[in-house]
Amino acid sequence: MAYPTATMEVIGLWTGWILMLTIYSYPLYKENPVYRFSEHLYIAVMLAVNLVVNFSNVMRICVTPMMQGDFLMIVPLILGIMIYTMLIPEYRWVSRYPIAILVGAGFGLGIRGSIGPNIQDAIVSTITRPTDGGAMAWINFLYIAVGLISSVLYFLLTYEHSGALQAPTRIGRLFIMVALGAYFGNTVLFRFTMLTGRAQFFLQVLKLIPM
Amino acid sequence: MGFSLANIDRRVFYWILFIALMVPFLNPIGFPIKIAENTRDLYEGITEDSVEPGDVWVINFGYGVSAWPECHPGVTVCAKALLREGAHVILMGPHTDVELTYKHLLDTAKEDFDAATYGEDYVFLGYITGGESAIAQLASNMRSVYPTDHFATQLDDIPMMQDVNTWHDVSGVLSSDTGDWGGYFLTQWQEPYGVPMAQIGIAMLGSTGIPRWLAGNYFGMSVGSRGGAELEMLIGEPGDAIIAMDSISVSHLLIVIAVIVANVGLLLERGRRS
Repeated sequence: MAYPTATMEVIGLWTGWILMLTIYSYPLYKENPVYRFSEHLYIAVMLAVNLVVNFSNVMRICVTPMMQGDFLMIVPLILGIMIYTMLIPEYRWVSRYPIAILVGAGFGLGIRGSIGPNIQDAIVSTITRPTDGGAMAWINFLYIAVGLISSVLYFLLTYEHSGALQAPTRIGRLFIMVALGAYFGNTVLFRFTMLTGRAQFFLQVLKLIPM
Repeated sequence: MGFSLANIDRRVFYWILFIALMVPFLNPIGFPIKIAENTRDLYEGITEDSVEPGDVWVINFGYGVSAWPECHPGVTVCAKALLREGAHVILMGPHTDVELTYKHLLDTAKEDFDAATYGEDYVFLGYITGGESAIAQLASNMRSVYPTDHFATQLDDIPMMQDVNTWHDVSGVLSSDTGDWGGYFLTQWQEPYGVPMAQIGIAMLGSTGIPRWLAGNYFGMSVGSRGGAELEMLIGEPGDAIIAMDSISVSHLLIVIAVIVANVGLLLERGRRS
């Protein structure tokens, strides 16, 4: 990529740079009118973009084919309009029908493909002993096996976690805490990568590093 | 010490972080980058013997502008690799800013897209909505989800799309995600029809994606900007991800230091109280 030369692109670049700084003025300084302006502007622009893109999409995949003779397309259109009846308390019950169809179709489709990759393959992959990788692969295999069994035992709620169940459920709790910590850590690090991207943009606009 | 640490304004840390992240861009450190097996599998799955000229591949932009630093370097490398193998690439995405991502890709893989012809080597179908149902429908009839491409051209009028309408006509899927879209392709394309797929995910998706790679559901997986940097090394063209890796590593180091300092402070404070 090269630094833009067209006037509108340069204006866009600097507008983005200034708005970014105004947004960062909140964590780096404190809440202020400039920050609030940018926040409201961002929400308004995103809402407008979403509205336009989704409206265009409905026109493209539903209304235009219907106008060209594909009259079945009126069905999703009516279902879509029915959802808006939730805004009228008197007719709110009507909106339950399209929502029921959405939820039913979603569950049906989800279940169709989920059992294989999310349950069956995951279990097979977990309980299959390593064929290569040496001692480290076996340590990993045992670590995952202990973690899996003890974590599942932790959710065995029909028996009191005492006696023979006490030690494994405590180990299970530790594994769950480690897993949640790692997951949260990944989340934080993703946000930091986004921040890194902004730091890079900050310097690129100032031409301190190449774009 | 614990008392004074607890009273440090958090903005001080934010300032340190903001400045520290910029330093590696100005003075690169050059931390080593080791290529993970899952990234290598992804790269090998889209190069050389794995791809034949004319194969059709779907690249799903399941990320918005905010996730460009995490996902886009990996997508850039994959698009370059596929186009160089002579594959035909279908680009699409479920975010409303998908057009910006598409234009950004044309910029970041400029030479390859300049050498390719729109409609013959690649096509941009644009925005898709409808979640898992839409992805399922895409597998059985693309034209019902996308009657036209993003530029309102009928799919039948686009040369590379004339014989492409179902999962059967697609050789593989690369889904680059911040959320669930890779999972939708997994449950609606890979599982029922066996379409090979890989994911270019943000760091958070590593914990769900790597088990799927280990189970063989994904033929490869790129995790976060680190994965993007590894792919850039594999293709031999350093880009945004390799440049950003030093800064990302510094941010991780700062977090680790902050956690250690905060815990030391807490222990000292407890000791002082007792």
